[in-house]
Amino acid sequence: MKHLTRAELLDAIEVPAQLPAVQAEHLRQCARCRSEADALGAIVTRAAGERVPEPSPLFWDHFSARVAEAVRSDSISPESAAWFGRLRRPLTTWAVAGAATVLVILSVVWRATVHAPTVRRAAPPVVIARSTVALPPIVADNVDADERWAVVRVAAEDLAWEDVQEAGIAASPGAAEDVALRLTADERSELARLLDQELKRNGV
Amino acid sequence: MTAAAAAATEDDRALVRAALDGHREAFDELVRRHQRHVYQLCYRFAGNHEDASDFAQDVFIRAYKGLRSFKGQSAFSTWLYRIGVNVCLNQVASRNARRTFGFAHVDRIEAPAERADTVLLRDERATHVRAAIARLPKKQRAALILRIYHELPHDQIAEILGSSVGAVKANFFHALANLKNLLQGGS
Repeated sequence: MKHLTRAELLDAIEVPAQLPAVQAEHLRQCARCRSEADALGAIVTRAAGERVPEPSPLFWDHFSARVAEAVRSDSISPESAAWFGRLRRPLTTWAVAGAATVLVILSVVWRATVHAPTVRRAAPPVVIARSTVALPPIVADNVDADERWAVVRVAAEDLAWEDVQEAGIAASPGAAEDVALRLTADERSELARLLDQELKRNGV
Repeated sequence: MTAAAAAATEDDRALVRAALDGHREAFDELVRRHQRHVYQLCYRFAGNHEDASDFAQDVFIRAYKGLRSFKGQSAFSTWLYRIGVNVCLNQVASRNARRTFGFAHVDRIEAPAERADTVLLRDERATHVRAAIARLPKKQRAALILRIYHELPHDQIAEILGSSVGAVKANFFHALANLKNLLQGGS
């Protein structure tokens, strides 16, 4: 005689109607299997009768408020998750791409116009001439004629400041001052000239 | 899955997407929707209101932190149960060493007409069952709690516990057999 397996015994107490005919018949005739199934069924009934005490109705509001407060705190933040969510939005994607392009091109222009003279100043006169010749043909004073700046302008045209801020692209507090303090007098002078020129061009 | 359950699952996914887009109130709604089940799950493992409440909060905070890892392949509730079981199994072991298991909490609401001796007897039986369940091996305990108290099908329990349906059934069977021995030995 083949007794019911564990899975069949479970089926016998959980879904007796689904027990195959052969096993159901065996269960009717086999005292041992029936006893075992009855004992398991009794345990399930006894355990199931034990209920979780219902907390005070006020507890749920208090609980959800507690969780909301916790997830809004600075230390708990799925920023990476939020970042991914924002990056999926087309406008933000363009904003991020545009801002990244601006940063890269600013870096190139900076090296070609402001940083390069520092190297030239430290080198002997003969080298100065060679370095000058070797510089890329970027005319920093006429940015309107620069095709690379045109790319930046097109990318940034529809870029709202709020979108850039929301995308998290913002200088940390004090970063601009920190950079300015690291510049040499010549570099600061050149930066001031560029800023002045840009402000005049925009009619500020 | 019923049409209502399917709609609720889809709603949950929409709320998850909204929360990922930075709308925290969407996550608040997810908490309100699932807090009762999560709390009850935690109570089954913790055995008291204070710990259950702490565990449940931990579950939601972990869910919030890891929301990006929810791919929507399973129901949000299944994903939440998985976090819940992991939190509870990890926390219970450390807290049980410090606290006595099974004290009823102060917020409990009793029927006013109930006789005190009836309440005491019921409490004693409930405590006995809870203590016996607490002594089961982890996987057996989890399988039993999810099957009996949350009435989840074996395949969903398998998904939550990261095991096969056969393993879940075997764990559930052994849990019942062990529970029977523990309750008979203790009564």
